[in-house]
Amino acid sequence: MKINISNIQHFSVGDGDGIRTTVFFKGCNLHCPWCHNPENLTSAPCSMTYPNKPGTEILGKAVEPAEILSELLEDKDFYDASGGGVTLSGGEVMLQTEGAAELCRLIKSEGISVIVDTAGVVPYTEFEKMNPIVDEYIYDIKTADCEKYRNIGGDLSIVTDNLSRLIRDGKSVRVRIPLIPDFNTDTESVNSIGKLLCSLGIKKVELLSFHRLGSSKYEAMGLNYLYKDVEPISSENIEMIKKEYCKYLKVDG
Amino acid sequence: MKLFKELNRELCEEPTGTYAPYYYRFVGYKKDLAAKPSALRANGIYSLFTESRPVILKNELIVGNRRSLFAKDVNPIVLEYSKNMVDIFKERWFDTNKDHFAPDYRHILSLGIPGLINEADRSLLRHRNDPEKCETIKSMRLTLVGFSKMIENYAVAAEEALSIDGYDKSRLKGIIDTCRALINGKPSSFKEALQLVWFCHNAFLMEGRYAMALGRIDQYLYPFYKEDIEKGAITDDEVIELLENIFIKLQDDVVNICIGGQNQQGECDVNSLSLCVLKAVGNCNVPGPNLSLRLTPNTPDEFLDECLKVIGTGLGYPAIMNDDINIAALKKYGYDDEDVYNYCMVGCIENFITGMQPPWSDDRFDTPRFFDFIFNNGISETSRTVGLDTGNLEYIKTMDDFMRTYEKQLAYGADEYFSKFNATNASLNQRFIPEPFLSCFCHDCIGRGLDINNGGAKYPSVHGAVVMGIGTVSDSLAAIEKVIFIDKEATLSELRDALNSNFEGYEELHKKLLSAPKYGNNDDFVDKYAVWFIDYLGSLFEKYHTYDGGRFYIAAAANVSSIYSGAQTNATPDGRKRGEPLSDAASPGYGRDTRGPTSTINSVSKPDYTKVACGTVVNQKYSPEMFSDGKRSKLLALIRTLFKKGGQEIQINATSREILKKAMDNPDDYRDLVVRVSGFSAFYVTLGREVQLDILNRTQHE
Repeated sequence: MKINISNIQHFSVGDGDGIRTTVFFKGCNLHCPWCHNPENLTSAPCSMTYPNKPGTEILGKAVEPAEILSELLEDKDFYDASGGGVTLSGGEVMLQTEGAAELCRLIKSEGISVIVDTAGVVPYTEFEKMNPIVDEYIYDIKTADCEKYRNIGGDLSIVTDNLSRLIRDGKSVRVRIPLIPDFNTDTESVNSIGKLLCSLGIKKVELLSFHRLGSSKYEAMGLNYLYKDVEPISSENIEMIKKEYCKYLKVDG
Repeated sequence: MKLFKELNRELCEEPTGTYAPYYYRFVGYKKDLAAKPSALRANGIYSLFTESRPVILKNELIVGNRRSLFAKDVNPIVLEYSKNMVDIFKERWFDTNKDHFAPDYRHILSLGIPGLINEADRSLLRHRNDPEKCETIKSMRLTLVGFSKMIENYAVAAEEALSIDGYDKSRLKGIIDTCRALINGKPSSFKEALQLVWFCHNAFLMEGRYAMALGRIDQYLYPFYKEDIEKGAITDDEVIELLENIFIKLQDDVVNICIGGQNQQGECDVNSLSLCVLKAVGNCNVPGPNLSLRLTPNTPDEFLDECLKVIGTGLGYPAIMNDDINIAALKKYGYDDEDVYNYCMVGCIENFITGMQPPWSDDRFDTPRFFDFIFNNGISETSRTVGLDTGNLEYIKTMDDFMRTYEKQLAYGADEYFSKFNATNASLNQRFIPEPFLSCFCHDCIGRGLDINNGGAKYPSVHGAVVMGIGTVSDSLAAIEKVIFIDKEATLSELRDALNSNFEGYEELHKKLLSAPKYGNNDDFVDKYAVWFIDYLGSLFEKYHTYDGGRFYIAAAANVSSIYSGAQTNATPDGRKRGEPLSDAASPGYGRDTRGPTSTINSVSKPDYTKVACGTVVNQKYSPEMFSDGKRSKLLALIRTLFKKGGQEIQINATSREILKKAMDNPDDYRDLVVRVSGFSAFYVTLGREVQLDILNRTQHE
């Protein structure tokens, strides 16, 4: 079963322990307007034309898991030396569980750890396909507000339900909250997310601060990036948000 | 404020008078202008040491600086005459084994100056029937006596300073005691040992030498350190303060300092003094102390991590050397094992058997220009140089033909390089410019009664041929194989026309050449040429010998020569335009390793670096967040893996705010600069200005 991917990124250092290679899956069922990987929002190939780079790059191709594996294996020594491995990210990996599971099995058979980065908006049956072969999930929580989730194409009840079932099933889950200005960084939002996670028995979160590094990609795709003029959150504010979360759980990053 | 900062401020003050080492040297020459070369030189060095007037700075704990050579109240005619005369007698220079030397400090520390003079006396007795050797030994001895006298002058100057306001009296008394102890015997404390080393180094500077290495300072000073620490006579903070006091004086020089390594039993040589040295270099944070780490598989991760912290300050040091590879490379040249394990580096990265071979020399051998000779019947208009006329391009029918032709050009180039080396050395009668003082620091010149450059050293002189352009050449060969011989998109003649017109009018072909596989992406199609490059050039230079029968090593390092050489090199088949820099050192071409550092490392670890005895440089830049507590361990694993795979060296630079700013203004020079954040990485220069500023601001906070 081929997998629709946009890119394989070597030496990923922010997607789990150690040195990792990240496979970016194409296609997503959310449409977060701040997304920094717009090329993965759609399943169709994207053409990217950068102003200061000659030529046009097409991102998106269907690739056999075995072919992906051979590229992942190039960095095996680095995974071993650093306690790293492979991270599947996207887009939404869980929309292609058939191919993803095959890829994970191949990776596991080489003794390499696999992390899946997901927003969790899929039926739990999809997770059940992946659970036996995934070492850890990076699980995004964007908001605790039903309507806000609906606005970006999500469903809070599915997200929380899946998260609690993953924990019940004994899976290792790293909860991550993207800090998005004017979306989830006000005190009220922070407190409601904090409370929600607390009620689910989550002990620790990672905060991922908004950046607009993706804006050149939107430009390259000829798209308008709604967040291109949004300034990154100041470090003082990040500290304040952290402090607020610390009332409920431990904060990393 | 830290003491070294105060000292730095003092050092920045312009001294009065004229910097006139020649004047002090000529005082000695003048004593007997008809003296034989070794006596003449020794007289000059003796007066250089004894006639100059030591200056003690207020913040010096370890005294000795070149201010003593500023002549005041000397008639300008005398100065001019002295300079003219000294110039006539000439000095050696880098090409002819003047400096880039790592003295045998262990020896002088164990004997002290009186002990070394005594060694000379015993050697005189042994060689009493050989007048020439006696002459040589006497000249060495005289310079040692002068050296001792200079230290006495420092003691006197410190005594005089006691009555001057602004000096710390107890510090001066310490200086006086230390100087007196060094005149009368061997050093008996860490401070005395360090002061002796510094007096030696400063004396070499007075002689006009540059890039004199301090070598394995954490090893030869360790016995003194250990004893003092155990006695409670000194603390680590005091040790660091003393070291800072000398490192801050090393600015405007390239003084290699080596830490770590392993002994013959393979035991790790890192000790607590290594950490003090590292911290002192990091605190001073000035270029000059060129710190090198000999990394072994059993160097503790904690120590490597400390090194990364220092690198992360933006200093870029220590450079990290793969000890196993260097030792394997050096062992091929038949050095005794115990000497090999005591190697260090001189200059930037050049491997050197500490205190046992004549001073180092090397030169650049840039390889991409030889393509021009193949394409243009042996004449390169861009570099205005001539190679072989290897005939009509139509006779080159296969990639194999092309390789053999290129090899022929390189072989001719190596002969040309060697002939220049020979001619330079022939212009200098080796016996005419003896080095009596330097010889005292090279095993076993005193014992043999021979000058360091005239058979006194245990091993003969080595020359380094620094081969440049591994990335440009590998990419060029891969592009030729792919575009010309496999895809048959153009003929060699068309390629020649494209190169000679700098790709103007050949945009399609240029695009194809650019999209051929590039070195640094873990693609064997091109990486095999890098492997060949090292194998072939290694074998080419194997056959040459230096004037005294020593060997030629090769190096894959270039400093900034890749820019100058590139400026004089025609467009190359990899798609590089005329005048653009060549690939740097042993690294892939600028911005061409696009798959991230692991792929770069997978590629650059393919060549067999045990054939590169001089050394390699692989430069990598990382944004400062890679040095944060959470991520440093990933860099550490990266380095470990590079070395496990057989890489020889890595020099990591933390991208400072200054560099990010430069990259915004000159994007072409920073094409390889990558910014990494979670789930995202991008080439910095491809980002919009606003976003670049975001990153710049992140950097400020970290």
